[in-house]
Order: sequence, then structure tokens, then C-alpha cells
Amino acid sequence: MDNTLFPFAAIVGQDDMKKALLLNIVDPGIGGALVRGEKGTAKSTAVRSLAQILPDRRRAAGCAFGCDPSRPDRACPACAEAISSGRAIQAEEARMRVVELPLSATEDRVAGTLDIEHVLKTGEKRFEPGVLAQANGNLLYVDEVNLLNDHIVDLLLDSAAMGVNYVEREGVSFAHPSRFVLVGTMNPEEGELRPQLLDRFGLSVDVKGDRGAERRMEVVRRRIAFDSDPEAYTEAWRAETDALRARVSAARGILPKVSAPDPVLRAIVAVTSGFGIDGHRADVTMMKAAKACAALDGRTEATREDVASVAALVLSHRMRRRPFEEEAFDREELERCLQSA
Amino acid sequence: MPPVGVTEFPFAAVRGMDDAKRAILCALANRRIRTVLIRGGPGTAKTALARAAGPLSGGSVVNIPPGASEDMIFGGIDAEATMREGRPVPQAGLLSRADGRALCIDDANLMDRRVLASILDCVARGKVSLEREGASAEYPCGSLLIATVNPCDSDLSPHLLDRFDLCAYSGWGPGEEDRMEIAKRGALHRDDPAALAELFAAEQAGVGERLEASRRILPLTVMSDGLMEVAAELSAKVSADGFRGDIAMVNASLAIAALNGRDEVLRKDVEEAARICLAHRRGYAPEPPAQQRDEQGREEDREEDREDEGDRGGRDDDGGDGGGEPERPPGSGPEGGRDDMEDIARAMEDMVFEIGEQFRVVDYLGGGPRKASKASGGKGRRDMAESSDAVGRYARSRIPDGRARDIAFDATIRAAAPHQRRRGRAGMAVSVEKSDLREKVREKRRGCTILFLVDASGSLGVRRRMAAVKGAVLSMLRDSYVKRDRVGLMAFRRDSAELVLPPTRSVEYGYRMMGELPTGGKTPLGAALVRASEYMTSYSRSHPGEACCAVLITDGRANVPLKDGADANEEAVRLAGSISVPGLRWVVVDAGAGRMRFDNAERLAMELEGAYFRLEDLNADRLAESVRSAIM
Repeated sequence: MDNTLFPFAAIVGQDDMKKALLLNIVDPGIGGALVRGEKGTAKSTAVRSLAQILPDRRRAAGCAFGCDPSRPDRACPACAEAISSGRAIQAEEARMRVVELPLSATEDRVAGTLDIEHVLKTGEKRFEPGVLAQANGNLLYVDEVNLLNDHIVDLLLDSAAMGVNYVEREGVSFAHPSRFVLVGTMNPEEGELRPQLLDRFGLSVDVKGDRGAERRMEVVRRRIAFDSDPEAYTEAWRAETDALRARVSAARGILPKVSAPDPVLRAIVAVTSGFGIDGHRADVTMMKAAKACAALDGRTEATREDVASVAALVLSHRMRRRPFEEEAFDREELERCLQSA
Repeated sequence: MPPVGVTEFPFAAVRGMDDAKRAILCALANRRIRTVLIRGGPGTAKTALARAAGPLSGGSVVNIPPGASEDMIFGGIDAEATMREGRPVPQAGLLSRADGRALCIDDANLMDRRVLASILDCVARGKVSLEREGASAEYPCGSLLIATVNPCDSDLSPHLLDRFDLCAYSGWGPGEEDRMEIAKRGALHRDDPAALAELFAAEQAGVGERLEASRRILPLTVMSDGLMEVAAELSAKVSADGFRGDIAMVNASLAIAALNGRDEVLRKDVEEAARICLAHRRGYAPEPPAQQRDEQGREEDREEDREDEGDRGGRDDDGGDGGGEPERPPGSGPEGGRDDMEDIARAMEDMVFEIGEQFRVVDYLGGGPRKASKASGGKGRRDMAESSDAVGRYARSRIPDGRARDIAFDATIRAAAPHQRRRGRAGMAVSVEKSDLREKVREKRRGCTILFLVDASGSLGVRRRMAAVKGAVLSMLRDSYVKRDRVGLMAFRRDSAELVLPPTRSVEYGYRMMGELPTGGKTPLGAALVRASEYMTSYSRSHPGEACCAVLITDGRANVPLKDGADANEEAVRLAGSISVPGLRWVVVDAGAGRMRFDNAERLAMELEGAYFRLEDLNADRLAESVRSAIM
């Protein structure tokens, strides 16, 4: 366990942000989370600390892309070959990781590139995997995602959309699976995100600094306690951390059994069309988020309450904003939509 | 390369999207239709549908990622073979790997315009001519390209749009039941694509059979002269330039007839064809057909309600716009009522009385008016800019000028390859000499900021000249909207210049500010020039890499000098000569009317070393007309 990370369970408040992150771990198919907020609102801390509660997953041993052996349809060329020729793939349990994409990353490091050393030694071309390969099956974190270079954003969009990283550069032609939970944090003061990228995030949450003096003191108290002895502090929160991790793992286990009956689906559609959302990504995402929400509660049927509790996360970044106006998510409108369904 | 992890959404499982499906089926039925564009907002299954065409064309689509380097797309040198053979051995690129399958470009608006234009050309000709790095070869090119564009991010230029045979909009106004069903299928596809495929296996097979049959009927299918005329008339009605629209109309009509099992084109086939052939060509947005309108009715009502609450004009920074047509951007038609573009169109209609004629603008930032007579091609502001700091997309390689810093290893090895037999390798697999070194040419998408410096003085109030100015500025704003420029607005009147709108991507906001701009008072031209240059100096310092441009719109009649007693006009010209903001380009638009024109604006342009346009010359259509009449 990495003791330099502030315990996720010890973060005060910020329930929406925590929920958005947890739902994505329960179902990576939700499509990631964007956390927007002012400086110093524990955005990066929360995302990095997720590492402590990430569950284990099965991956092919020795595979650079960490393929899931149970999903041959999502395997890299080498694993796919092995599977189709009937060779058994050695599987191992490994913990999901938080892979960071630094802002300064170059395109070749992100997408992967020609393995120069290999060429010089042998005269043969070989693909050298990049960040998108490491991210497969893991969580890909981009801090200050709104400042990311346009052409890197294009690469991310492409992979996030298809779950595959297609590399066509430097004489290498290669494709490998790249399915990840995309988590971005940003400070909107530094500029907004491109709409195309914005829509790719399944959930989004606006975090604000806590205004209550009581809670602020608690935040400071915990932070100081952590900084003075990270190890002891992490240990003190061990039970909570482990419990949360167990809860997430359990939720992942029951997720395939969770259903969303038609009335719930109808409520979802009523909400998205009530809020004037184009496209169907919001519908699918809300359905998945509601199911994940039920799974986190240990239930096998999503309810309208689940829909109500995830709606803001799904919709807030998909609503059209008026220029220079902050548009708050309208809870009453949500209630009206749910009533009408 | 076997496709990894992509199990296409079954074509038959895509609900609605009749136009887009029809366009793709037409192209699959009639091989003379080669390029199909699907436009639409985010999450409207554009990409899913494009990829769904793969299995119907004999395998997964060949994906051309937006970041692919040019030698990977068009072809280049095969380094391994070249080393073995000791002579340059060419290698085919992605375009030649289709082998009957469809090529696919997702988010084509993100691709370099030049590259996209070349791809369209290759697909249309059916071959790739390779002239690179000492290799000369010709390869067959995939004959079907399906591209998607999300106009909310940025759009293709009218010129590129026209190059697509067919174009369909992905939005279709689904009702509640549709949305529920789409969500179910979407979720199932994400979780268990095999189960979804199984569910639609029979219907999918039916689509395949229908295609097969249509390909057999197509060679026998005829289109009467009368209907050919109808097609040509429709095409002329939208005043589409050139004949691409006409040809597409005939090919699509034939395909639609064949898809319906008929060997004769009926009038309704032509009408259906028009929806996918003409909408993206100039100035035409078809009405949604009656049955779809009914479905949309409910949602449109709701939209009206919201509009009445006072939300108008302003939206998210980067809402969509069509290809740049004034009254009805191409995106406005069949996408249903809830659409940014339609809002803008509506807002524009409201303002018609205060704002003069709006039009498609020439590429006023790209050079003189005579050069930019057609569309907006060429080396304008929005091209990819070469980047010098080793950041950006690796587009090409070149022989370095001096010391190579950012070495392009692939190109270097390819350059060294032919010599490997001669050179002693000293234990290395490849012997590289200095003359082989190549460096990367990287490109960055360059942002562009345009500051409009608008004369709002009383002299322009005469003869409603201000209305024409507003019309022109709004036309330029809309142009910027499509190109994702940042725009700012500074107005000068009475005795000072005021920054009405700091540079923002929210062009819509600029629209509103411009509409409300009051006119009257004297003309402090000198003060305006000083203010603008000061502002842009600090702006360009804080936005390195941004292309900056100031567009001065004035009749050139200054009457408020900076220094008491000075001649305001002479002072302005002198100031213009002394202004030097690094990297800032000036464009002067002369708003003086006909006979009353004053030559000061032209002198200002000369002193500022900027381009000079008369207001009337900004109108691309009118300019094209005058050029045409001059030639003929």
C-alpha cells in the first residue's frame, strides 16, 4: 500500500465526487468522470487515493496490455492469437491501477511508437506500448485535462470511443485494446473543455470548497494529522478503507445481476428529454450509473431513487450553458420529470 | 492487422436514423457512390453506424485515426524490405488496405484539411499515387469512405462538404419508446455485444440479402429523362456549385430504386435522394418529412416553452453551426427542434431589421480579395501550424537544416535502408550516416484570435450604413464560429474605444453584443488604434502560438484627434504607420459607401501593412459572381 496517499475514506464531504468515482469503478462502462472545481478542493487527492480501494482484476500474465483472459473479443493481437490457437493464457490477479497521463506527454509516449532500440539491434520493426497500453483495464487520470494539447485529446477521444488504440505512425501499424476509466480534473477558471471531450465523460461533478467552519476545521485537522505521520494515519483509517474496498468489490460482483425495469428506464428517458439532452449517450450512461448505484447498495434492481441520485452527475455537463452564466442543476425540474414519467 | 476488441453494433439494430442508413446502403449498393458523411451532435450513434457498415462491406472498416502520419495513410517506404533489397521498396498505406471494405474516418473535422482533401481525392479516383522518399508507385485505394463530423466541435468547410457524395444527419427526433429501446440496445452492446448480435442476427441477414439483390438489379435500373431533369432542377434550386450534387442525385436515385427491388427510378426515389445529396451543399436544408415532424411535435413544443422563458442566442461556447450559410445553416434542418444551429438561425432572423445583409464571407484573413475568390481554401489562419518546440502531431519528416534535434527515426532508417548492403555495419543491424538523418515536422492546430475593431460613430449612421457594417461583422463572426476562432469586439465612438467583448470562443455572445451595439457620436480613430494595439500586444504575449488578427471596420473619417488641434485623419494614418505589434495581422474593411468613399481607410491599410477590403467585397458569393462575369 502506498502510504503517501491520503486515505480516500478520510476525505471530508465531497459526496458527489466520491460517488462519481466509485460508480465508475463498479462499472467502468459508465465512461469515466470529470471533476471540475476550484483549486484546493481535494480533486487530485481523491482521484489518486482511489488506488487504495481499487479492486483486483484478472489479467493475462506478462501481457503488455494486461488483457482480460475472459474477454477474447477484447484481447491484444498476441493474446488473441494465443486464444485462437488454443494455448492457455496464464492469468493473474492484479490490482487496478491509477495511470497518470502527464500534460507534457508527447504523442508517441501516449499512443506508443516504434521501438527504436529493437530496430537498431535487429533491423525489425516492433511496437513499443505507450500510456494507452498501460491504461487498458485501469483508470487513466488526466490532471488539468482542459489544458491538454488538442492532438493528445484527439488520441484520447479515439481510444475512449472505441476501446481500441489504433497506431498508424512511424512505420508501425498496430492496434491494441485500450479500455480505461477516464478521470479528468480541471479548474474551469483556466478555460473550458472542448465539447467533444466533455461529452465523452460519463459523469461530471462540480466540487466547491466547503464553506462551513466546522467542516473546514475537520479538513485541516485531518490533513495535518496525515502530513505529520502518513503511515500511522493510513493505518488508523485501515478499517474504513478496507470496508470501502470490499463494498466496491462486492458491487462489481453483483452488477451483472442488477436489472433496470421498464418504469425505471422510462423515468430515465423522461429526465433526459425533459432536460433537452441530445443524443443517446446520456440515456445509456444514466441507466448504467443507476444500476451501479443499486449494486453499491447491495441491491439487484435499480430504482427511481437511484436515477434521482445519479441524474445530476450524468446531466450537468451535458446541459447547454449560457455564456458567462453558471447554470446550476435544477433539482426541482428533475423532480418534475420523474413525476411525469 | 486484425481488429481488436471491436464488435460492431449490428446495422440492423440501429434504430431510426433513416437518412444515415439510407446513405450508407446507397453507397454499398452503388459503387459509384464513394464518400458518405454523417454529421450530428455527440452521442447520436454516428460512429456506431459508420462502423456497422463494415460487416456489410466484407469485414471491419479500415479505421484512419485522425493522428495518423501521412506516410501511414498514403504509403511510404518499407524499411525492412528496402534493407534486404538494397533499393527503395514502396509500401502501401492504409488507404490501400481496404480490399473491398469501407474506410472510416471518425471526427473528420479534427483531421488536417489538406490530408482530408487528399484522401477524398484518392477515394474518388480509386487509386493512390505515391511519390515519396525516392519511391514511385501506384496502389488501388479503398472505394468507399464513411466519415463522421460533430459540428459542435468545428465543421468542415463548404468546399470539403461538397466533396462528399452523400451526407446525412444523425439526429432524427426519437420519441420516448425509441429512446428507451436505444438505451437498452446501447447498454447491451457495451456489456455483451455477442448477445446483441444474436438478437438481431435474422434482421442483419435480411439487410445483407437486400443489398445483394440491389447490386444485381442496379445495372438494369433506369432513370427517365424526366426524372433526370427533376434531379437537375432540385440541384439548381439549392444553387449548388458544380455538378457533384447532380451526379450524386442520379447515383443515389438509382441505388434507392434498386434497394427497393425496382429496376425503374420513381419520383419518390429522387425526393429521398435529395435529402442525402443536397442538404450539405450550399444553402439548403430540407424540411423534415411529415411523419418525423409528428414525432417531433411534442419536443418542439417544449422547446418553444423554454425559448419563451427568455433563453435566446447564448449557449455553450461551442455549439454547432453548419457550413457557413447565412439564413439556414445546413445543420438546421432535419435534426429536430432542439438544436443550437436552429436557435442561431432563429435569432438571426429576429435581428434582420437592425442588421444588414449577411453573407458567406471570403477568406478575408488568407490574403487579398482577388486571390480568395473561391471558398476558403489555401493557407489561411486555420491551417495546422508547424510547431518548433517538439510538441504536436508528427506529420512528416524532412532533411534537417543543420543539427537535427527531433529525430524522425523511422524516416532516418528508411533513408539509410537502401545503403545497408554497401555499408559495413560493425555489429549493428543498421548503419546510419549523418546524411540519413531526418527530423520530424510536427504540426499543432493553431488557435486564432480575431479582434473586431468597429467604428460605431455617427458618420456610419448615415444612410443606414451601420446596418451593413453589422451584417458584415456578423457574417465574419459566423465564419469564426465554424472555425472555432476566438473573437473579441472593440467599438469606438464619441471620444474613446471600448472593449465590448474580450476574446472568447463564445461567438454567439459576440453576436448578441454586436446586435446591441449603439451608434452615434464622433470618430476617435487614433485612440482606437492605440487601444487595440496595446491590448493585442499584451494579449499575444499571454497567448503564445496563437495567431492574432485585428479587423478594423471603418469609413476612415476620423474627427477626434488624440492631440488637441491635430488633424485627426493625418494623425490616424501616422499612428497606423508607427504601430507594430509582433505577429499581429491587420485587415481593414472600408465601410464607406459607394461614391462617398474616402481614401483614408485604404491608406490606413497600407500603413498597417494589412489587407484592404471594401465591405462589399467580403461577400463571397457576390465576389464569385463578379469574377465569373469578368471572365465570361
